[in-house]
Amino acid sequence: MEIKYTFQGLLIYAAMGAYLFAFVMTLLRCRKTGQALYLLGFVIAVFSFSYRWYDVRHVPLQNLFEVFLCMGMLYPVTVFCYRILRVGGVCGDMLIGVIVLFPSGFVFSAEPQRLPPALQCRLFVPHVAVYAISYIFMAKATFQAICQLAGKSASSDETLLGPEESTYRMICVGFPLLTLGLVLGSLWGKVAWGDYWGWDPKELWSLASWLVYVGYFHFRYMFGKRRARINSVWAIAGMIVIVVTLLWVNLSKLFAGLHSYAM
Amino acid sequence: MSKFRYSVMLAGLGLIILLILVSIYGAFVGAERAQKFVNTLPLTVYWLAFVLILIAGLVVFRRLVRVPSLSLIHVGCILILAGAMWGSDAGHKLQSRFFGIDKIRTGRMAIYEGESENLVALEGGEHVKELPFSIKLQDFRLEHYKPEYLRVQTGEGEGWKVPVEVGTEFSLGEDFGTVTILRRFENFQIRIEGEERIITDEPGAGYNPALEVQIKSPEGNEETRYVFERYPGHTHAEDKFLLRYQRVVSDYISELQIIKDGKVAAEKNIEVNHPLYFGGYHFYQDSYDAEAGQYTVLMVASDTGLGLVYAGYAMLCAGIFWQLWVRSAFAKMKLKSK
Ligand code: HEM
Repeated sequence: MEIKYTFQGLLIYAAMGAYLFAFVMTLLRCRKTGQALYLLGFVIAVFSFSYRWYDVRHVPLQNLFEVFLCMGMLYPVTVFCYRILRVGGVCGDMLIGVIVLFPSGFVFSAEPQRLPPALQCRLFVPHVAVYAISYIFMAKATFQAICQLAGKSASSDETLLGPEESTYRMICVGFPLLTLGLVLGSLWGKVAWGDYWGWDPKELWSLASWLVYVGYFHFRYMFGKRRARINSVWAIAGMIVIVVTLLWVNLSKLFAGLHSYAM
Repeated sequence: MSKFRYSVMLAGLGLIILLILVSIYGAFVGAERAQKFVNTLPLTVYWLAFVLILIAGLVVFRRLVRVPSLSLIHVGCILILAGAMWGSDAGHKLQSRFFGIDKIRTGRMAIYEGESENLVALEGGEHVKELPFSIKLQDFRLEHYKPEYLRVQTGEGEGWKVPVEVGTEFSLGEDFGTVTILRRFENFQIRIEGEERIITDEPGAGYNPALEVQIKSPEGNEETRYVFERYPGHTHAEDKFLLRYQRVVSDYISELQIIKDGKVAAEKNIEVNHPLYFGGYHFYQDSYDAEAGQYTVLMVASDTGLGLVYAGYAMLCAGIFWQLWVRSAFAKMKLKSK
């Protein structure tokens, strides 16, 4: 836990504050104010990411500090899901915004690093970026799954999809990106280390999270909406494994693998 | 769903859950043991079972064949598994036993500058095998991030990062004076001739990067110090500053030639992330001689099964995007137009 007394840190906390405030306002049914604050948080998050880019002079997706910073700009995803896919949960997205910025603000160091040779590859940025976007969708799916288990609709708007369908829709969008991220990582491993699959912990956790969603699809195909609660449990399990993939392997220095410098 | 189809599906789901558990177990035990574990006999049976259930799925569920995106996904998975098994240790052994294809799966080779080599040390290091061609190392180089820095630190912990620019005076403030880097050495060498110490730079003959630094105190006293990258603790007792010359490697480069039947068959400078491909093998920059920079260590990996795996990746990705993005977008559009 560290507090960042830098301009970068200030921007992160400002964005988090705006998101949190937006969340509270939406809960208090001041939807207009909530929306405005959410948009404000987004603008600050974009500025914060751009500032980082300018600061380190390469696409800031090199370490977890930067990946979470990137995920903090989730507003376009919210709009896309709401307008096009008819999936609500805007209020949940504000909370997700706070949660994904938290590690950047308080957990990971912002110390810029130089790219070690293994990271200097064209596959690197797409690999990380695709994962970051997919994780946002999976987080939205998790929010919907929790609403489903709690027996609540994420929104009172009748034209939006219900929580079970919303979970499925979100995973349908996120899963191809998750697959692409896994495959790009594998291709990169081949180029950098000579093997497309090295069985190291980070790879195995990401395989496990991918497989949980494969399991979700097939379980849902077999039982449809009859076992809606178990469908939701699959979706939540997927998120738990993703969180482990992202944090636990990096944080617990117990299992040193090839990805140890992805800190 | 009929009982039979239901059982196939259930078996598929069971195998997927089992693989989740195997992955998590593997993550706990670390890469090396995980790799051994997935190559054991029970796991080999598991991989075969997975392929079989995928094939059974394609046979039993007509939709998996009729809907192109679904067949791409599931056939893609079969190809990936088949390619991986074909390229595994066991796969290489089977090919050598039944087809007489005797390929090295993976190993390492050390090559000195100016020499050629065709011996590969296999995993474990006990056995060596020959390649049908040899590799010549023309030159090996390390490259560093620019600018390089000299780090200057006082006993009280105050510090400066002085950019390595020969001849430029760098001020440490009123209390500490200035620092000037006078000379930069690739390979610092010292000879004593009679009374005289002769300091030279002999690049190519070895590797001992160093800086000649002049420190001027505020009173105007001048001192000269040598700072060595490879011997960071090197100081005099009376020194006011701790000096360090630390560089960050940006790249390792080996200039290679493939020699086959006495002729140069291929040529490439390989670096991390840029391997050389020749004769069914990839050659990677793996390690180097940290002492003198005179040899390089390459990793050798056979490409057996790689084509299948990559084809499987392509099919899997195409199928999944098609099924989950494109098809559902079309389905929605149809719904709207109705
Ligand atoms: C790792 C391996 C596998 C992957 C990545 C995979 C992936 C998928 C995906 C993405 C779908 C589409 C889901 C949807 O549209 O909601 C699907 C459907 C399906 N899969 Fe798999 N699958 C795998 C293994 C299996 C196995 C082992 C079986 C066993 C029989 C199987 C049988 C099916 C069936 C029957 C469907 C439903 C097709 C339909 O919509 O009519 N899959 N799979």
